[in-house]
Amino acid sequence: MFERFTDRAREAVKRARDEARAAGQRPVGTEHLLLAVLADPDNLASRVLRDAGVRAAGLRAAVARHTAEGGAGLAEADAAALREIGIDLAAIVARIEESFGPDALRAAVPAPRRGLRRRQRPGGPFSPRSKKVLELSLREALRLRHRHIGTEHILLGLLREGGGPAALVLTEAGLDLDDLRRRVEAALRAAA
Amino acid sequence: MSQATELAAAAGSTDPRVGLRAVRALRRLLERLEVVQVDNARRQGWSWQEIADALEVSRQAVHKKHAGRPAVPSTWEA
Repeated sequence: MFERFTDRAREAVKRARDEARAAGQRPVGTEHLLLAVLADPDNLASRVLRDAGVRAAGLRAAVARHTAEGGAGLAEADAAALREIGIDLAAIVARIEESFGPDALRAAVPAPRRGLRRRQRPGGPFSPRSKKVLELSLREALRLRHRHIGTEHILLGLLREGGGPAALVLTEAGLDLDDLRRRVEAALRAAA
Repeated sequence: MSQATELAAAAGSTDPRVGLRAVRALRRLLERLEVVQVDNARRQGWSWQEIADALEVSRQAVHKKHAGRPAVPSTWEA
């Protein structure tokens, strides 16, 4: 499905895989696609997001809060779930770090379960939502009568999908997804 | 207050979603704790058999799970 992707868009998809891998062998999520698009400050998608007041560092921090980069290498949602059954994750982290040094628990990334995990993910390394985003980026390009799929189409796909972690951190940053979509389309018209 | 906490508080503790989510979080925590402790044992010279005995699993199971994995770099030394 990547035949129509521009070099920059391919690079972004590759980078999204790297982002996911760096986060511990998770499937590529919409948040990884967003961070990957933002990693290249010169592309149209990055320029639009910057003009809308998005700071890549801020988004990265927000993604980390939602996913697996808290003090324990567990997400905030995991800590909340553990609190529900009376487990204070912060206390566990403190005890482990006391004995084994700072970040000991976060650095302790379990090896992926080989074979088993491959069967669990018939869709390849992408999460269902990020697959949907890539499909939508193709649809957005077709809708705009563009022959190629660039990072701006990936961003449009992310905005259109609207429900994954990427959309969540953008919304939390006070952005309106429809407004962002209009900004991307305006930038595309200006560039044409 | 995070969304998840609000959700949990609203749903009540008999909601299977809350309980199952906690189990999932606990499993993630367990996996990380196991990595920390197995690496520590190896640094202290424990054999795979000794580690397996302590965890009450087979030597093959613990070896398969941890031997191929790169040891977690630690600033702490025994």
